[in-house]
Amino acid sequence: MTRQPLALARRATAAGLVATALALGGCATPAHQESMAPVAVQSTKKLPFTVRVETRGGAATGLVDSSNVADADLKAAIETSIRQSGLFKSVTAGNEGDYVLTVSIAGLDKPMFGGAFTVTLDTGWSLVRASDRSVVLRKAVRSSHTTSMSEAFVGTTRLRLAVEGAVRKNISEGLQAIADAPL
Amino acid sequence: MKALIKLACAGLVLAALTGCAINRASATVDPGANLATVKSFHVKPHEKDERGVHQLIADNLRKRGYQVTVGPQPSVAVDATVTYVDKWMWDITMYMLELTINFREPRTDYPLATGNSLHTSLTRLSPPEMVDEVLGNMLKKEEKK
Repeated sequence: MTRQPLALARRATAAGLVATALALGGCATPAHQESMAPVAVQSTKKLPFTVRVETRGGAATGLVDSSNVADADLKAAIETSIRQSGLFKSVTAGNEGDYVLTVSIAGLDKPMFGGAFTVTLDTGWSLVRASDRSVVLRKAVRSSHTTSMSEAFVGTTRLRLAVEGAVRKNISEGLQAIADAPL
Repeated sequence: MKALIKLACAGLVLAALTGCAINRASATVDPGANLATVKSFHVKPHEKDERGVHQLIADNLRKRGYQVTVGPQPSVAVDATVTYVDKWMWDITMYMLELTINFREPRTDYPLATGNSLHTSLTRLSPPEMVDEVLGNMLKKEEKK
């Protein structure tokens, strides 16, 4: 083999290694709040109450971290979903609201490496009546979403899509539990 | 040759980035939960746990004065169940990268409290130290409520 084809082969190997690392690895893109709100949450139940949303247990995504769900982004996604579904009369801020909905992230299980990425989100949904602080709903919600390589080749994107999908399913199930609760 | 040098540089950057010392420790307790009333725990071993993390958690809780049982399902009534997720990484040797522990309502599985610690290789802690840090933060959080 002459020098030129050898150099070409080395470059091809290097490019292949980088492509493989990109495809299999996953790091550092936070889940987008607009992609975490379920598209089709439709509630036949329309509650004549206002609600305030609080979220906890989330984490920001660091530079060398993998996709996380920040509290503020989860809160915004839940608020958007409630408005779109019409489940409550309105979403309030500050200390107002007939009910307080607290969603706590108990776990976000993400793969570090692989082909198809499956992410599992474990949350606790708690709905408290503001007037007497009585708990009307307490529910553990566990949701999973898998994103394949055909949906996103780059690992960072694939992981973010899997996280966003798990959040969407979690919000759908949580809001359904509220709709089913006797308020 | 140039391609090889570029590849080596890329490897060095990658190694430098992944070798960063990241430390994170957090704990949250549900506003409606009262951990002060919890006297007994049941630790459920993770189905993929081959390193005995469930035993470390049980031992640590016993040291803190709690009654603790271990197994897939509690045989007696307990105040809270304990679940966990441990993540391990290799860097010269295997080490515990991240540990998340949940205290749950036995009947509904509702998460009453959650603690999480993450330490990358340069600041790694031993598994008993990780367990102690996570449980310590969760129970300290309750004291501050």
